[in-house]
Amino acid sequence: MTKQIPLEEGYMVIPDDPDQACRLLGSYSKAADKTFFPIRKRCPITEQSVETVELSNEGELYSWSFVLMPKMGSQQQDASGGFGVGQIDLPEGVRIQSVIDGKQEDFKIGMKMRLAPNPMATDDDGTQYCGFKFIAIEEA
Amino acid sequence: MNRDVYVIGVGMHAFTKEYIPVRDMYFTAGTDALKDAGIDFKDVGYLYNGYIGGGMMEGTGYAKDLGLTGVPVVHIENASATGSSAFREAVWSVSGGASDVAMALGFDDMARMGLARKKPAPGTRKGLPSFENTLLPAGFFAMWAVRRMHEAGTTVETFAKIAAKNWNHARHNPMAQRRADHEITVEEVLAAPMVAYPHTAMMACASGAGAACAIVATEEWAKKNANGRPMVKVTASQLQSEVYSEGHIFMGAVVGPAFSTERTAKLAYEEAGIGPEDLSLVQVHDAFPIEELMYYELLGICGEGEGDRLVHDGDTAIGGRIPFSTDGGLIARGHPGGPTGIAQVWDATRQLRGDQGKFQVEGAQNALVHMMGAGSVCAVHILQKA
Repeated sequence: MTKQIPLEEGYMVIPDDPDQACRLLGSYSKAADKTFFPIRKRCPITEQSVETVELSNEGELYSWSFVLMPKMGSQQQDASGGFGVGQIDLPEGVRIQSVIDGKQEDFKIGMKMRLAPNPMATDDDGTQYCGFKFIAIEEA
Repeated sequence: MNRDVYVIGVGMHAFTKEYIPVRDMYFTAGTDALKDAGIDFKDVGYLYNGYIGGGMMEGTGYAKDLGLTGVPVVHIENASATGSSAFREAVWSVSGGASDVAMALGFDDMARMGLARKKPAPGTRKGLPSFENTLLPAGFFAMWAVRRMHEAGTTVETFAKIAAKNWNHARHNPMAQRRADHEITVEEVLAAPMVAYPHTAMMACASGAGAACAIVATEEWAKKNANGRPMVKVTASQLQSEVYSEGHIFMGAVVGPAFSTERTAKLAYEEAGIGPEDLSLVQVHDAFPIEELMYYELLGICGEGEGDRLVHDGDTAIGGRIPFSTDGGLIARGHPGGPTGIAQVWDATRQLRGDQGKFQVEGAQNALVHMMGAGSVCAVHILQKA
């Protein structure tokens, strides 16, 4: 089984069990009753302490675009010819900017999206280093 | 401000996509501004260098070409608002009494920053981008545009009209990077390759190189060096970072909540003692036309949702009610990074003096210059013909 780990610590958790959903990590401020992403050192509103929380892995597409430029960190255009980007609102009141799977005609504001690992490199032993992306949840 | 501050000299090296040594552009902008001010480098009491992509002490090294006077030199970096922030520090230096004459000199070559991306970001694995740095600004502004289209019914043609206007403003600006040899049409802008829907390449700001310089001074120096020209007073200097908003985005190349502009401009209007109705021209961070459209409303030029009408009525073109991006803006004059905010001051100052020839705004009295810096900050200055 392919092992997937986050590119960096402190942004997301990817369970070893593939049936378990990956989650982004945020900060909850009890004093402000607000949640933030990514993790904050302390509440940016009240300057009080925050606790690390796992965020919902589903949300709603607030806006999107389809980008036809090389991805950040690359000088080369994507072989697929472009990639989707979106802002996804999670139930905690957090807006996430993310790569989104799909073609331009697939995207619609308000559509339901689900978080997924986004493999960006693979080690010799098969370990995948992952960022994150959102994928549209198919209509039932 | 504790003391009144005036812009007494401006100079630029034209923005360009060609390779020109940064050191040469720095020298040209600096010496042109000194000549425009009618002063020597030894008269400068503080120098603020603004650059994003250069190495350690680069600006201090280039300043040696202007002279070895012992002048205090400081490096300022605030992303796209770097030049604006260097200008603000110069203004505050004079206002606060640290110097009677201060210089802000912005320079950059974006090609150097592109090369820098080949190096892995600190803390990342496999040389891949970090979580904090995965989306391009082009994507961020495009998402702003798509949301605007959804909420207000703005069309792609409106974005194209703004871009075409700015391209055409730049045609007569000798310092502009994009100087078309013909009137740019909306159809041409729409036909350009797509960068990030709904923005095409002709709607995206021009990435390149350049340098710009502004010299500010006390009223005494301004009067002494006016040389028969109208004096240009800095009536407001405001810089704000983010405050929390619903849906706040902390991660990525963002310019903060839209209302950062509204908040900073409000402070600037209060400081200057004028309102948006008193402005003669405006320069904004029009990296993409969605920004200029939104800033019409956020700067109070029109009501919420009324920006599209301004575009269609031609109100923001030279000759219209309130011209925006009179020198071509980031879209056509260009956006090399460090010098951009000072290039805005170059145009605003010359507009207020009545020196801009074919792209002159007749009767210009008050000019507002606005920049966003990803990360993020908003800078707003107001200049007035004294």
